[in-house]
Amino acid sequence: MKVLIIEDEKTMAVEMQAFLEKAYYCCDLAHTARLGLEKIEENQYDFILLDLGLPDKDGLHLLQEARKNCSQAAYIILTARGQLEDRIKGLDMGADDYLPKPFSLLELQARMQAVSRRKFGLTDSEIPLGDFNIDLHKRSVFFEGQEISLSRREFDLLSYMLLHKNRPLSRMQLSEHIWGNFSDDDYDSNYIDVHIKNIRKKLSAFASVDWLQTIRHVGYKIKL
Amino acid sequence: MKLFTKLTLFITLSKMVIAILFVLLLPFLVEDIAFRYNDYYLKEQRKKVLNVIWKNGIDAYLQGEENYGSYTMLKEEYISMEPAGKNNLPDTIATLQRVVEGDTLTYRVLSHIFDYHNRRYMLEVGKKTATISQYNRPLQKVALYVLFGLIVFTTLVDLIFTRLLLRPLGVIISTKLVNRKFPFKDHIPPIRTTTTDFRYLDDSLIELMGKIKEAFEKEREFTSNASHELMTPIAILQNKMENLMVEDSPDEELQKKIVGMMKTLNRLKKIVHSLLLISRIENDQFSKTDSLSPYTLVTDVMEELEHRLEEKQLRFNMNISRQIILHNLNHDLIFQLVYNILNNAIKYNKPGGQIMAGDKLIPGEAYQLIISDTGMGISEQEIGTIFNRFKKVVRTEQEGYGLGLSIVSTIAEYHDIKITVSSTVNAGSTFIISFPS
Repeated sequence: MKVLIIEDEKTMAVEMQAFLEKAYYCCDLAHTARLGLEKIEENQYDFILLDLGLPDKDGLHLLQEARKNCSQAAYIILTARGQLEDRIKGLDMGADDYLPKPFSLLELQARMQAVSRRKFGLTDSEIPLGDFNIDLHKRSVFFEGQEISLSRREFDLLSYMLLHKNRPLSRMQLSEHIWGNFSDDDYDSNYIDVHIKNIRKKLSAFASVDWLQTIRHVGYKIKL
Repeated sequence: MKLFTKLTLFITLSKMVIAILFVLLLPFLVEDIAFRYNDYYLKEQRKKVLNVIWKNGIDAYLQGEENYGSYTMLKEEYISMEPAGKNNLPDTIATLQRVVEGDTLTYRVLSHIFDYHNRRYMLEVGKKTATISQYNRPLQKVALYVLFGLIVFTTLVDLIFTRLLLRPLGVIISTKLVNRKFPFKDHIPPIRTTTTDFRYLDDSLIELMGKIKEAFEKEREFTSNASHELMTPIAILQNKMENLMVEDSPDEELQKKIVGMMKTLNRLKKIVHSLLLISRIENDQFSKTDSLSPYTLVTDVMEELEHRLEEKQLRFNMNISRQIILHNLNHDLIFQLVYNILNNAIKYNKPGGQIMAGDKLIPGEAYQLIISDTGMGISEQEIGTIFNRFKKVVRTEQEGYGLGLSIVSTIAEYHDIKITVSSTVNAGSTFIISFPS
């Protein structure tokens, strides 16, 4: 998938690029609105990640103009302004999602995947995980056609780790995904352990769950 | 009391005092004037008599007799002349009794001694005292009517004028002071007045409001800039660390350190978030137009916190009326308020403890949400400062950042919500959240 990152903070753009390229996205960078618009005219993008605070043009104006040229792309607004009005305005103007800075790159990728499922109707919603299959639409786990019941949060955790497979995830990152702004790291990270223990218990009754690894001092990883 | 009411009262009362004084003094004044005039009249009469004697000789009166006496028809006035002794007395005017045709009557009498052809005579001119005061009553009446009329008239004029005079002040109060809500967004034109005091007051108010608005705008701008300026480097750091974590380095020690750094960064992020939230609330950047049911709200909050409840094996009892709907609030902020209080109730509870959420409706006054726990409690000296920013209390357990309750107090203040805390150490705390009706 082709991604354009319009972000004036160069270091930030580079980090996003590095992260997304590891997840097999193909990224272009633009540091000003003018450059961004030029790139949009020249190329076809699947995703446009747009910072609102650009030096030469307000991001919301850019969004309007960009959508004329490249209407099929999915737009995700990134902003440090964080005001509710901006969020509403952005979504009204046709943005597909909105992420306030500072955001986790894991979260960005999760949102991008959710948008692509929603917008591009990707059908590979059933993903293999070891001997299991995970259906993201139905939000359930199957073993040879038999459904295994997981709690809402257990499923959230499992699918998040699957999305970021082969990447060590800290307890804090996991709890932030599950409880958002209300997460209380020292408190909830213990609870992540409880969830993981439950997931292991429920799934290992059917098949091996060696792919769910504990990483000492850090957290967990799904290795496939 | 309003200035106009005060002035009205003062004007009316002062006029009444003047009227009463005048009414009390009037009889004496009129009496005094009547007597003075009468004395003057008697002197004039004496002058006339002496003139006649001077011109026509004393016999014009005496006509050969030793003495002379004459009185008017109703004995109101009399004149008498008789020889006097050797002693030379000055003129006197006195109130005396005189016998006229057998009646004893009281007269105001002027006695005058004069020489005529080496003989000494005494002239008496008298007027009955009853006739002196005969006009007093009608005079007093007229004076009272005139006084009454004048007082009513001047009071009316005073009030109308005062009202006109004070009108600019009223305009200043109604347009610039009453019902003005911070921030002052709309511009209100200066008032029209020729009174320099009001002009000065109005100008000063406009200037002050302008300054406040400017300061407010600056702070709002600062908040927005600060959030941008602080959040961007935090975001960069966070993303860099996230990328570092994936590097396929088997170095356990390094990864441990990165996780530690991310925790610290997360803490910084949360502090900045909390400060920005407080600052945004204080800057009036949240609308207060939502309605919410306390029952649903507490249920939602508890759903978020369920896992923490389970971990500590706490029991949660809820006894909240489902019918109550609260209006003119910001849903997200109230959620945060209740969340922080309930979260603390869990955090500082003992394993196996209890949390109660109840409510109470005081008709016409307030709706109270009462949250109590069986936790470690707050000591008496700490209870006054728990809502202060960065105020940490001595705890053995893992600490928060000391901002949770100051967010609570900021949100409460923003909504005119009162929070009272009572607590017993090692027994538990009770937070009463009173929503204004």
